[in-house]
Amino acid sequence: MLLNRASSGGRWRVRPDGPGKVTGGLAYLTDMTTDQMLYGLVLRSEHPHARILSIHTDKAKKLPGVRAILTYMDIPGLNAFGIAHPDQPVLCEERARYVGDALATVAADTLAAAQQALELIEVDYEVLEVVDDPERALLPGAPQLHPGGNELHRTVFSRGNVDQGFRDCAYIVEETYYTPRQMHTYMETEGGLFVPGEDGRLTVYSPTQHGFMDRMQLSRILAKPQEEIRIVSSPIGGSFGGKDELNVQPYGALLAMQTGRPIKIHNSRWESVRAGLKRHPMKITMKTGIDAAGKLMAHQVSIISDTGPYSTLGAEVLNFATEHVIGPYQYEHLDVKGVSVFTNNGMSGEFRGFGGNQAIFALEGQMDRLAEMAGMDPWVFRKLNMRQSDDLGPFDQPIAMTDGAKQVWEAIAKCPLWMEKQQLARMSHSGDEPWIKTGIGAAFTMHGAGLGVGIPDPAGGRLALAADGKIEAVFGYEEFGQGLLASLEQMLMEQFGFGAKDIRMIIGDTDVVPDSGSTTASRATAMMWKSLQKLKAPFSGQLLQRAAAILNRRVEQLRLAEGGIKGRSEEALLLSYKELAAAAGEPIRCETSFSFPTSSTERVGAHYMYTYSAVVVKVEVNTLTGRARVLQQYHVVAAGPVINPQGYLGQIEGGSSMALGFTLLEESIMEKGHYITRNLDSYLVPTIEDQRGLVEVEAIEQLPEGDDYGPRGIGEVGSVTLAPAIAAAIRQASGKWATKLPVEPSFLQETPFFLGKG
Amino acid sequence: MSEEAVKSETPYVLRCFVNGKEESIHTTPAARLLTIVRDELSLTGTKRSCEIGRCGACMVLIDGNAVNSCLTMAYQCSEKQITTIEGLAVQGMDPIQQAFLEEGGFQCGYCTPGMIISVKALLDENPDPTDDEISEALSGNICRCTGYGGIWRAVKRAAEGRRQTT
Ligand code: FES
Ligand code: FES
Repeated sequence: MLLNRASSGGRWRVRPDGPGKVTGGLAYLTDMTTDQMLYGLVLRSEHPHARILSIHTDKAKKLPGVRAILTYMDIPGLNAFGIAHPDQPVLCEERARYVGDALATVAADTLAAAQQALELIEVDYEVLEVVDDPERALLPGAPQLHPGGNELHRTVFSRGNVDQGFRDCAYIVEETYYTPRQMHTYMETEGGLFVPGEDGRLTVYSPTQHGFMDRMQLSRILAKPQEEIRIVSSPIGGSFGGKDELNVQPYGALLAMQTGRPIKIHNSRWESVRAGLKRHPMKITMKTGIDAAGKLMAHQVSIISDTGPYSTLGAEVLNFATEHVIGPYQYEHLDVKGVSVFTNNGMSGEFRGFGGNQAIFALEGQMDRLAEMAGMDPWVFRKLNMRQSDDLGPFDQPIAMTDGAKQVWEAIAKCPLWMEKQQLARMSHSGDEPWIKTGIGAAFTMHGAGLGVGIPDPAGGRLALAADGKIEAVFGYEEFGQGLLASLEQMLMEQFGFGAKDIRMIIGDTDVVPDSGSTTASRATAMMWKSLQKLKAPFSGQLLQRAAAILNRRVEQLRLAEGGIKGRSEEALLLSYKELAAAAGEPIRCETSFSFPTSSTERVGAHYMYTYSAVVVKVEVNTLTGRARVLQQYHVVAAGPVINPQGYLGQIEGGSSMALGFTLLEESIMEKGHYITRNLDSYLVPTIEDQRGLVEVEAIEQLPEGDDYGPRGIGEVGSVTLAPAIAAAIRQASGKWATKLPVEPSFLQETPFFLGKG
Repeated sequence: MSEEAVKSETPYVLRCFVNGKEESIHTTPAARLLTIVRDELSLTGTKRSCEIGRCGACMVLIDGNAVNSCLTMAYQCSEKQITTIEGLAVQGMDPIQQAFLEEGGFQCGYCTPGMIISVKALLDENPDPTDDEISEALSGNICRCTGYGGIWRAVKRAAEGRRQTT
């Protein structure tokens, strides 16, 4: 089904959080203020790599209006954070490893006073050699950034014998692909309000993707029991993975505890750029061979990932990339190696696509090159080598089997935009503007959802009939714009029969929600769906039983409806939810908790559930300016039932726009560990002008009979296939293979024909 | 006002109209309108994101024109009519806001107030804009979430809606 408003009919709904967003009435956590509030700021390292000899705060402390200045000496608990492995100092003691490293934090009556205080803090540095290249970081003699050296993590996966495999190949493609340090560029920079309570508790109002993880990490830093910390974490002005790790929370929390006053922190854009996460820049080298018939024989891959100074999820991202450089194809011989390397560059971390973006750009690039070499249609080539529905996963692990790969392949094969490619091939590039050249390309993937084997991946939620008669749905997930609340509301209405007005949704508050795991890895909608499936019978049953007792009817005669209980085939309301809640009896409340389904393999990071997707794009290259424009996109996504059509469409449209930036525009440029692109004047993301082309999304909903995993994730797939598809289209248009993203205009520019002669 | 006076920290009383209401705000001549609106008037619908005039999250209307409030100084607002997102829904929601709701012209919503302000300025000036004109009017408003698909739909619907009612 082509997803749009018309095809969705009544299922296309106004989002429950919409009115607050279009009127400006919704207060984001960085909009909050309170009485007695102080302003917090962080002093960060001037150098990407330096020994810290001393930090003097005396002068700054004397400044009127300054209430606290904290350094490493003032941290009551663990001076470190990191989701997977806490190795990032909250406040550096003897060494700074990147320009975002924090040295001191200040609270003052005004922002101006806080700023002035930062300037008065005196730091003596001994500048150290900067490790700004992951390959050089691995050479003997390179400065070592951590006690364990410069290697964060290595991955290996092999099958057969590639050397032998390559000997039997008719064609071999060897290529190296480079991907940029992409910035999340959420429009709301990091920040929040940190409020100490009279009871000694601390309330943190600050965006994150997993409130309970923040609570655990802050509890370690503050040496304060988790129960004494409350994290309120939604709504969020965009995250895309970038706010999953702690950012300003440690500073706000420490300052609030120290001063006993509420602290407001709201990063400037530069502060956000400097300290925040980026997508891992990767260099991926591939050697892939096929036999004379076009069958894949051997595939050899080496990934080098620049993880920056500290771990966060760098190892997990590499695991994901390792799985996705294998992808949906079958090879007899396989040899994949990856290494994630510490450097003094910016922090790399979680970002929508989670390493898949880089991997798929490289892998699909190989497929297109091989097809061309063998003289085959690239889509037919893929079909020949694609996994079958009952094949094992990329790591030879059991997976939830679907026909997704085939469904997606077929949808692209018959879509008009793909068929236009043949016509383009036949048309010669002349006309009024011979420097404008057009091409069409496509790419394909299977993208893992959930955190994979070996990482705790809890899920669950709660339904209750509240005292005021509202149906309360309580989940530990976060709303950062993806439409989680809209999806939850829609499921409650469609699966249970409630009306929108009957429902109260509670998310993002550790004091009241169960730990439903992180809102990440395209998992939240699937987990809410599963939770509701599990809760449906017990919760509906309890409501109906209570109603039956009150109404003196049999349960089977009653049903849940908008506003309250109705008779099976009657329209009249028999009992409102309010009346039901007022009736005596045990509270009606159901809770479920379970784990995201994982594969029965030992392979850490291997996935069990996948979304299959593909895209065709039409691109126009202006060889005079070197600019490439995406004219049209056709996405096909096989992810099971569409829970919320508007949200689904929005995720693919939005994800693909990010991918367009990744392919053609975006790069955080660093020089010797310093950011050159410090704000949105030099770091360019797509504007409306870049997004004038038609974007269509076809959703394939059908799942195999008996599949009870429900909807697969769609939060990331929109952002992973566009880059290789654009690269293929550029190839058709210009004859050039792009291997480095973003594609530079200078790469596509050609000397105009009228200057060429002479 | 001279350059020096603008730069000075001397107290300044800004008299202007914000969402139709007369205000006298004690500030400095060079204070940014963005700070005044958010911090002094607690109108936090106007957002801050880049602070250098590149993202449009901070857009407000001054005498009907869309301007970046992060680049506007207090003295430039003297006696002006300033409209923030909060001032748009006078009797119920503005049809532009309604169109954004219905078409899904937002996700996180952080760019949305600024985006809607820019659309308002565009449609007030040009009720039947071409795609080129829409693109030009909104090219200073960055949306990171939607990919602009929903925004295109919302702007077209809003323009259509206006043409039908007038
Ligand atoms: S905050 Fe004013 S344009 Fe970005
Ligand atoms: S809706 Fe998030 S930036 Fe536009």
